[in-house]
Amino acid sequence: MADITLRVNGAACTGSPEARKTLADFLRDDLNLTGTHLGCEHGVCGACTVIVDGRAVRSCLMLAVQAAGSEVTTIEGLAPDGGLGTVQQAMWDSHSFQCGFCTPGMVMQAVAFLGDHPDADERQIREALSGNICRCTGYQSIIDGVLLAAERSASPDPAAPPNASPDPAPPNREH
Amino acid sequence: MAAIAAERYTGANIKRSEDPRILTGAGRYVDDIKLPGMLHAAFVRSPLAHALVLSIDVSAARALPGVVAVLTGAELEEITVPGPDALMALIGGEGPTPEFTLLATDKVRFAGDPVALVIAESRYVAEDGCELVEVEYEDLPPVTHASFALDPSSPPLFANLGDNIARPHTRSEFGDVSATFADADRVMDFRISVHRHQNVPMEGRGCVASYDTGPGVMTVHAATQSVHVTKIAVAMRLGMEQDKVRVVAGDIGGSFGLKIGASREELAVAAASRALGRPVKWVEDRGENLTASGQAREESFDVRAAVSNDGDLLGLDVKMIIDTGAYPGLGVTVPAIVEEMLPGPYKLAALGFESTAVITNKATYVAYRGPWASETFLRERILDVIAKDLGLDPLEIRLRNVAPRTDPPAVMITGRPLPGVTTRESLERIAQLVDFPAFRRRQAEARERGRYLGIGMATFIEAAPGPRSPEGPSGPLGIESMRLRLEEDGIVALFTGQMPHGQSHQTTLAQIAADEFGVPFEQVRVVVGDTDVVPFGLTGGSRSATMTGGVALHGARQLKAKVLDFASHLMEASVRDLQITDGRVWVRGDPASAIGVGEVARRAASGQFGSGVDASLEVEAAFDGGEGGWSGGSHCAIVEVDVETGIVTVERYVVAEDCGALINPAIVEGQIRGGIAQGIGAVLLERSAYDEDGNCQSATFMDYLVPTACDIPRIEIEHLETVALDADVNFRGVGEGGMIVAPPTVVNAIEDALSPFGVRIYEQHLPPARILELIAAMSAD
Amino acid sequence: MKLPPVDYEAPRTVSEAVELLAEHEDDASVLAGGQSLIPLLALRLARPAVLIDINGVTELSGVSAADGCVAIGAMTREYVAEESGTVTDDVPLLAAALPLIGHEAIRSRGTVGGSLAHADPAAELPAVARALDAEFVVRGPSGERVIPAAEWFEGYLTTSRRPDELLTEVRFPAAGPGTGVSFQEVARRHGDFAIVGLAASLTLSEGAISDARLAFAGLSDVPVRAGDAEDLLVGETPSAELFEEAARRATDDIDPPADLHGSADYRKKAAAALVRRSLRAAADNAGERQ
Repeated sequence: MADITLRVNGAACTGSPEARKTLADFLRDDLNLTGTHLGCEHGVCGACTVIVDGRAVRSCLMLAVQAAGSEVTTIEGLAPDGGLGTVQQAMWDSHSFQCGFCTPGMVMQAVAFLGDHPDADERQIREALSGNICRCTGYQSIIDGVLLAAERSASPDPAAPPNASPDPAPPNREH
Repeated sequence: MAAIAAERYTGANIKRSEDPRILTGAGRYVDDIKLPGMLHAAFVRSPLAHALVLSIDVSAARALPGVVAVLTGAELEEITVPGPDALMALIGGEGPTPEFTLLATDKVRFAGDPVALVIAESRYVAEDGCELVEVEYEDLPPVTHASFALDPSSPPLFANLGDNIARPHTRSEFGDVSATFADADRVMDFRISVHRHQNVPMEGRGCVASYDTGPGVMTVHAATQSVHVTKIAVAMRLGMEQDKVRVVAGDIGGSFGLKIGASREELAVAAASRALGRPVKWVEDRGENLTASGQAREESFDVRAAVSNDGDLLGLDVKMIIDTGAYPGLGVTVPAIVEEMLPGPYKLAALGFESTAVITNKATYVAYRGPWASETFLRERILDVIAKDLGLDPLEIRLRNVAPRTDPPAVMITGRPLPGVTTRESLERIAQLVDFPAFRRRQAEARERGRYLGIGMATFIEAAPGPRSPEGPSGPLGIESMRLRLEEDGIVALFTGQMPHGQSHQTTLAQIAADEFGVPFEQVRVVVGDTDVVPFGLTGGSRSATMTGGVALHGARQLKAKVLDFASHLMEASVRDLQITDGRVWVRGDPASAIGVGEVARRAASGQFGSGVDASLEVEAAFDGGEGGWSGGSHCAIVEVDVETGIVTVERYVVAEDCGALINPAIVEGQIRGGIAQGIGAVLLERSAYDEDGNCQSATFMDYLVPTACDIPRIEIEHLETVALDADVNFRGVGEGGMIVAPPTVVNAIEDALSPFGVRIYEQHLPPARILELIAAMSAD
Repeated sequence: MKLPPVDYEAPRTVSEAVELLAEHEDDASVLAGGQSLIPLLALRLARPAVLIDINGVTELSGVSAADGCVAIGAMTREYVAEESGTVTDDVPLLAAALPLIGHEAIRSRGTVGGSLAHADPAAELPAVARALDAEFVVRGPSGERVIPAAEWFEGYLTTSRRPDELLTEVRFPAAGPGTGVSFQEVARRHGDFAIVGLAASLTLSEGAISDARLAFAGLSDVPVRAGDAEDLLVGETPSAELFEEAARRATDDIDPPADLHGSADYRKKAAAALVRRSLRAAADNAGERQ
């Protein structure tokens, strides 16, 4: 066991994980950040995706000790003060999810991708998210959420508040 | 119809109240639960499909630092009560019941069968401990195919059965089968098979079982489709009084039929928690989920069809074999549903149906989204083949055979009436949404250039929940209960036994209740997931839209009546003159009179009115489904098949569907698309594979392939105008339909693409290699 | 699916890493990107006694061009190679293959050297290295060796790296004028391992093929050069008939594996289709490169 120090969601953290402990398990068990989910533990499903030093990575394929000195962002750290970031808000508005288990990984991958490719088209977004498995939605609503987020980032409404409140918004009466 | 509230949530795309926590990582799934003193479980599992267990030595595992206990199958039998599977007990499976234990004792019956339970300080150490358990096996010949299971010489998996038949052969006849076949212009024979595939929710099975030794209470934090069924299962197996078992559930990462009752492993973990007096967590990993949680759909059919030269499907005679795997459970009940549903929305005049359920050395057959779906696959597949042989158009043959919508309704030859079925409309709508002649031109041009496009369609109905039965509701799922209460903070609380795992009930039920009662959507709270608090219920079978939507509607109406009755005393006005809108009770025409419903509840709770006034603002509502009804629709797919590589691309997918009145269109569409994705996955990607020795070959996500965002196209969905059957409740279920009808839709399209090669397809799994084999087989002739 | 107990070392320099390898030899696994090794550990299929994590050996990262060669440090992340202008300009076959490796998150951590040292015959980079006759630079206690690709891939997940050696760099020849490339694969889904993949490079000179390279992924336990097909192509003018014949030559005598994703016969047919398609694409691209 070695002591490690890293920054998670902007805060300094320390721990003494066994070398074999994955970053995913360290986040979930040692730091109590259970938003990052384990869907396969062999790097295929993407549910464990977090952002390490600016890049989306599969946290089940990193050892916790390998994250020493790194900057890690998990789903809990995406939006300040309990609000919702642009991608999260757009996905809420688009009814992107159902059971929610793939959601954190999907959101983190989308955030990372849009950050690097703000003008991506639907085909590119589908390819970028093709490493995140969802069993509930058939993906269309997720893609719509990402497209909406991209659109909003490109031309933000100056009248809208930067982050929507986490409480359910006034009912949307679209038919 | 009764007057509806001024705010209209029902029918709108109200944003989900589940999402703020889901989107921020604040959901609480079973693996997120941490209790003081909690231990972690892992299972030693058999590497062999069929073997005697000669000995098991757990001493090295017990000695590993961090391992707290190791339990063998025999030790678990001593601390539990033998009995049938709780779900089977609930729905009443008949026939011989093989006796089986929570963990394998003398014999293992599939690769992955659990033989020992290791409990340790962490899952890491528990798995280390598993590696130290030494089991001596003696191989037995594996029974890996139904044909061998049917052979009396196959070694019986269960000594008390003497053979490998889980449900013996039965035959039923409806209508005059022999006359129909004798008089038919032609009789056609088919052999159709559906391959083994499985649920694969993103969250596997798991629980945290926590036995509190002092009061003798077992609390199980579960991932389940019904907290009450799980509670019954745990109480039965542990020999506990029902009121000493509490099951709670938070967020659940999908299920699709897998997580009902309690699996052998979950019961073993509960027993271990009781033995140790400490909480024990078990969450299956993906390998366990793919090999041991259960699989579905492995069925084969010998079909004879009696057909007229004009394309009437007059009669069917079907022999079904279902492979229920080891430890048979729900699988034995599937043939009866297949039999009942086989006529579908068509005018079938005669049906002969026989079935046998067999036991094999593979994972247990479990419920998977539309367990009876093979009936639609079979019927929609052979209609296409019959159409081709007779030179008829696939749309025309279906329109010809659809039962007309009459009053009284047409009745399936197997007995179920067909009120409100809009199959004809859905087929005609598909023909409007998809320009078939234009496609045929494009298809012909593409063929000139060596590209193979195909178009396919299929139609289905599902009992969601099914029409009102003349005998009345039956079984524990025939009546849906709900408790509704107006709280002192103004919240209308709905207590339901539904256990959403993606269905968005916390949103949809709130929409209905908000409209009916007269409060804003945010003022309704849907309470689920605690056997101490909610009535009996189960989420499954595409029934909740009608049953739970209906009880929410009627219950809210009843609660409103109670509240208005009390308010009439409070406000000294006649009930007739009072209304509730936007969360306030007021006298019609006098806005200044408005009192918030929370204030009304507080006044009721204060007891100021004495016993002459009913101040309990709570109702126990029950609903039997009203007129019920069918959901259904027609799907159409356009595919391209690369005949050099066998890769199939779904280019376009169109749905014309009828699921009654829509509570929330976005949620309905999400359910449909998710089901279609699983259906596309079944055809192109997913197979639970075993080799001849019974080794599972699809034990990781590298080999069991599920569709990704690049595999599922945009799915166009049209909602048809439905036929209202009930005065109030015309919501119908939609959960299973996509998965039922997508496989024949896609297979029909693939066969159409390959028609220049003369290919006929009688199976459901078409990976690239199989596509090339089918083409090559035609060129070899 | 938790990793088994394992010791862990994190050297900071190549020398330290080599010392550790010399000490532990076959009891050690080198941990580079981890995208292949960590799943094997999680499945408990690999049981090294010690992991030698070389992610801290910064001298192993980097892309540089010199003497008609592009040298890629073994720890260069796949995404870095993908974004490298040098790779795009000078090793177009590698640039074509990189985006097909898994998904973005895999390429965030996966390394060029790690993939080539792992030597999965169904992976993209081994086929590229074999097609281009890349060179593998390893350092051991007794110094450096340079191993040509033909000698690097020995068997399934097996290379000629000795247990006390560390792969430090892979050198790819820079593509000359008139070279066109294509990397295509038949995969069940986007980002999956290839059932069959083909790295193809053609160099045209005055309309005729002066150089042809074809290396398959997924047909054997190592990447396979289609030498007979290459010989056929050299000196000829591109045509559909020529490519058809090349496809026959490339696949007539192969004996591919069979598994859940494809029979041997299927792999043969898919391989032939890839030859036709890749050669056509490579020939089309050749005109663009001056």
